[in-house]
Order: sequence, then C-alpha cells, then structure tokens
Amino acid sequence: MSKFKYLKNLLIRGKSHLILGFLLVTLLLFPLLVESQFIIRVVINILIYIVLASSMNIINGYGGMFSIGHAGFYCVGAYTAAIMSTRFGWSFWILLPLSGVMAGIVSFLLLGFPALRLRGLYFAMVTLGFSEVIRLIVLNWITLTRGPMGIPGIPFPTFFGNPIMYNWQFYYIILGIVVLMLFIIRRVLNSRIGRAWISIREDETAASAMGVEVFRYKLMNLFFATFWAGVAGCFYAFYARYISADSFTLDEGFSILAMVIVGGQGSFIGPILGPILLLTLTEIFRGIAQYRLIVFGVAILIVMHLRPGGIASIKLSNIQEIKQKLSVRQDK
Amino acid sequence: MFYLQQIINGIAQGSIYALTAVGYAIILGIVNVPSFVHGDVMMVGAFVGYYSVLLFPDNILLVFIIVFAANWFLGIIVDMVCYKRFRNSPRQVMLICTVGLSIFLKSSTQVTFGTQQKLIPNLLGNNFFALGEIIRITYVQIFIVSVVIFTVFLLQILLFRTKIGLSVRAVSMHKSASALVGINVNQAMEFGTCLGCALGGIAGILLGIYYNAVHPLMGGNAAMKAFISVIFGGINIPGAALGGLLLGIFENMGVAFFGSGYRDIVGYVILIVVLLIKPSGLLGRKENEIKI
Repeated sequence: MSKFKYLKNLLIRGKSHLILGFLLVTLLLFPLLVESQFIIRVVINILIYIVLASSMNIINGYGGMFSIGHAGFYCVGAYTAAIMSTRFGWSFWILLPLSGVMAGIVSFLLLGFPALRLRGLYFAMVTLGFSEVIRLIVLNWITLTRGPMGIPGIPFPTFFGNPIMYNWQFYYIILGIVVLMLFIIRRVLNSRIGRAWISIREDETAASAMGVEVFRYKLMNLFFATFWAGVAGCFYAFYARYISADSFTLDEGFSILAMVIVGGQGSFIGPILGPILLLTLTEIFRGIAQYRLIVFGVAILIVMHLRPGGIASIKLSNIQEIKQKLSVRQDK
Repeated sequence: MFYLQQIINGIAQGSIYALTAVGYAIILGIVNVPSFVHGDVMMVGAFVGYYSVLLFPDNILLVFIIVFAANWFLGIIVDMVCYKRFRNSPRQVMLICTVGLSIFLKSSTQVTFGTQQKLIPNLLGNNFFALGEIIRITYVQIFIVSVVIFTVFLLQILLFRTKIGLSVRAVSMHKSASALVGINVNQAMEFGTCLGCALGGIAGILLGIYYNAVHPLMGGNAAMKAFISVIFGGINIPGAALGGLLLGIFENMGVAFFGSGYRDIVGYVILIVVLLIKPSGLLGRKENEIKI
C-alpha cells in the first residue's frame, strides 16, 4: 500500500514538474517562435505587471496589511534608475538591486515607522496619500527630476559590452527577474519569515502571543515587497527609455491592486493570472483603441461578480475538494 | 489683502468640496469602504448638467433637478454593481468594484463625448462685488455658496425630520442593531447611496460652473479632495462640511505661499497628518471610526 502511495505521489509530482518544465521551455523559446514585435512587447508588459502584482500580493495577501499605493514605490525605483544612469552613467545591473533597495528604504521611512500603527483601511489611506505625495514631489522637484518634462534618453543597458536594445533581449531579462522573484518569494513564504507573516495575517494578537515580533516582521514584509516594486521600476525605466510622473498616478496603483484582487489575493498563482487575464483582454481589444479601458473596467466587474475571491479561488477550492474526496475514498 | 482674497476663493472652492464631502460621508458611513467611483459620479453629473444647460439655458433650477434625478438613477446602478451583492464579502471586493466601475464610466464617457473639455456657457457673467480696491467676490462664487448652503439645509431636513432619513442615520451607526428594531437595512443603504451620488452630481455641475468647463477626467481629483475632507473633518455631515471648507481655504493659502504646483500636496499632507494624529477626524467621535 505504501509503495503504491509513493508511486502515485511520484507521478503527481513528476507531472507538475513536467508542466513547469514545459512552460519554462515555451517561455524560453517564445521570442524565437513569434515574429511580431507587438506581441513580445505585450508579453514584456504582462511580465512587468506580474512582478508588481506579486510584490503587492506580499503586502496585501500575506502580510495582512492593505496597501493601495504601490505605484509610488514603482515610481521611486524608476526615478532612481533614470537619474543615476543619465547623470552618473551607472550600469543597469548595479541599478537593478539598488533601485529596489531605494524603494524599500522609502517605504521603510514613510510607511514603516509612522503608518504601521494604523490598521486596515486607515493604513490603506495613508499608503494612498504617500503614493500621491511621492508623485507630486517628483512633479515639482524640477532640479532633480525635470518635473513634468520627464527624463528622456536613458541609455541602453549593456551585457558584457554588447548593448541590449532589442525587445527579445529585454524579454529574457524580465523573464529572468520574474522567475528569480517567484523562486525567492516561494522560498521566503515557506521559511520562518513567511510563516510569521501568515500568522500575523490570520491573527495579530495570537501571533504576538506566540512570540512573533509583529512590528519587525511587518517592516520586513513592506521592505521585501517594495524592493520588487523598485526592481520593476528600474526595468521599466531602461525598457521604456523615457519616464515621467504621469506613468505613476493613482490609477496605476489601482490597476495593480485590481490585478491582485482579480487574480486572487493571498494565493501564489493569483497575481500571475490576474495581469495575464486583464492585460490580454485589453490588448485583444486594442484594435478599437479607446474601448480597451472599458474592457478593463468591465472585466474587473465581471470577475468580481462571478468569483469574489478572484480567479485563483476556483482552483484552490477545487483542489481541496478533490483532496477531501480522495482521502475519504482511501479511508473506506 | 491678498490673503483675504485667497480666503474668499477658498471658501467658494471649499463649499464645493464640502457638498461633495457630505455626499461622500453618507456613502462612507453606510458601506464603510472608501468609494473610488465618486469622482466619476460627479463627472456624470457635470455632463448631464452641461447638456441640460444647453437645453434650458434660462431655467437653472430645472437643471439642478435634472442632475439630481439622473444621478439618483446612477446611484441605483452604483449600489447594484458595487455594493448590494458584496455586503457580507471581504472589504476589498467592494473597493475594487468601485475602481472597475470608475474606469468603465470614465472611459465610456471619453468614447461617447470625446476627450476635449466642453465650455459651459457663462450664466452669470463676469460681474463681481468689489470690496476695497483688490478684493473681488464674483457672482459665481456667491451663487455657488448659496446653492451649497441651500442644499445642505434641505439635506438636514431630509435626514433629521423624515423617517427614511432616520433609518439612514441608524444604519450608518449600527447595521445589525437597526435591523433588529425593524429598519429595512437594504432599502436604507440603497437610499443612502443614491442620496450621496445625487449630491455628488450637484457638486459636479457646480464644479463645472466654477471652472466654466466639463471634461471626462474632472472627477478624479475632486473626489480625492472629498475623501480627504471627510477624513479631515470626521465621518459625519457637519464634520465633512467643515473639513471641506477648511481644505478649500488651506489649499488656496498653500497656493498663495508655495505656488500652484503644491496645491494638491497640501491636501495629501493633511490626510496623512490627520490619520496619524487623530484618525477619527476633527469632529469625529471614536465610535464613528470605520470598523476594520
């Protein structure tokens, strides 16, 4: 019996590995198979939003806090990268972690100390306020950020001396970032830190009674999540080669939040599915240019009405049901 | 003298914020979730107002009644799409539904009516009272302040002298307790949402008259100001009105001191400072805080 169980487990695990491997190979071969530059750009865009949504999900889904202002930290990352590269000529590869750390520090100073005392929606409102304040400071601090003119002419990143200038090259970079991020998130969530976050989310008082230092772990959570937002911002700056404060409005923060919640908050796969669904839908309707935002809004509403828990909630509940049925059958 | 002029401008602008904030406070008190669709509700009100001004240029009262009725219907839609089904769901579901509806309304208005701003015909002319040499109070400002005072007066009667007003106030205090004493909670919540949206519509057309223009993106900023005013003053009607007025005055003083680029920062700094020091707002009581 135990041998049979072992075999079954091996088969199931082998299958999921097979699917994962197949997916990875498809993603790696993707730019070779697809000719259209447009589709590659769309996929790069989706991957950027996967980074943003997954990192926001760390705060909202696992940390038990409610942040709306993720666009602000995205903005900090993008501007750090743009200013350092155009003024001091720093390389992309150094700036990638550096902008992440910068965004993390800003969240640490702005949100961490003053705002963590607040709970729930009050915390959400403060994040919203800070996101807007960051954007308005960027818009008005003309000597540093050129204000409404934006920063053009961000240089191409180089890879061992070769400039990276084609879409497929950027595609591999962002794919690498996404895979690395998902791997690290997975590892962190399965570690002591991740379990502490989840315990805080479930019940803060109980968690602190069990010896979890709530404040410290929340700070770590914020730093970790905004770090990835900063990394996404740095990539965006080098990829778009021009940034301005208009790209980081509240609406941007709302779209990221919508992707997280439509995908399924608090699940690992949710914030990956959310951007894929919403952005693919809007890009399908790009032909009729103005209608794509309408589609975006309607898609959010439809998903919320059909599945208030997000797309990923279907799968999770199904899996649990199946597991329960399986276990019942085995007992018999 | 210059600052006195800024205060007068601030009062005019602040009274529009106050009217929006009062509507916002009713909705916020009832559903306990910040609504991000309110700006677009205002925008729809302004557009309805624009077209009815073109139709009935000499009957301003009729224009306000049309806007009120149209936005009442919009309120029914908002309640149906965003709130009704999710009364017992997690909080963020309602919030994201308002975001979705907001995106939908904004972009469909852009598609139907174009993205350019439309000029509202100047109904009152550019006349003004002159006090001393510098200070000017335009007729538009007087008109706006008086409309706001009149509307808030009517609202006060509706909420404190009628049965449905009583049930709206009861529901915003405690839902299950008011259900226990026989109030139709669902109906009261729908009524409150509609009332808030209708007030938002009136504030929208006033905003349009004040700036002489309507356009599809006018709402977002104004709704954030309403939201800030509510948090500033407290989630109740006098608090929201006071918060709106003060915010208008502070903003105009901020512009006078720091320059026009800093207008919006004033509001957000107030939001953050108030939330950190006294989250229930200036006139708010502890029990009126949003339950987490």
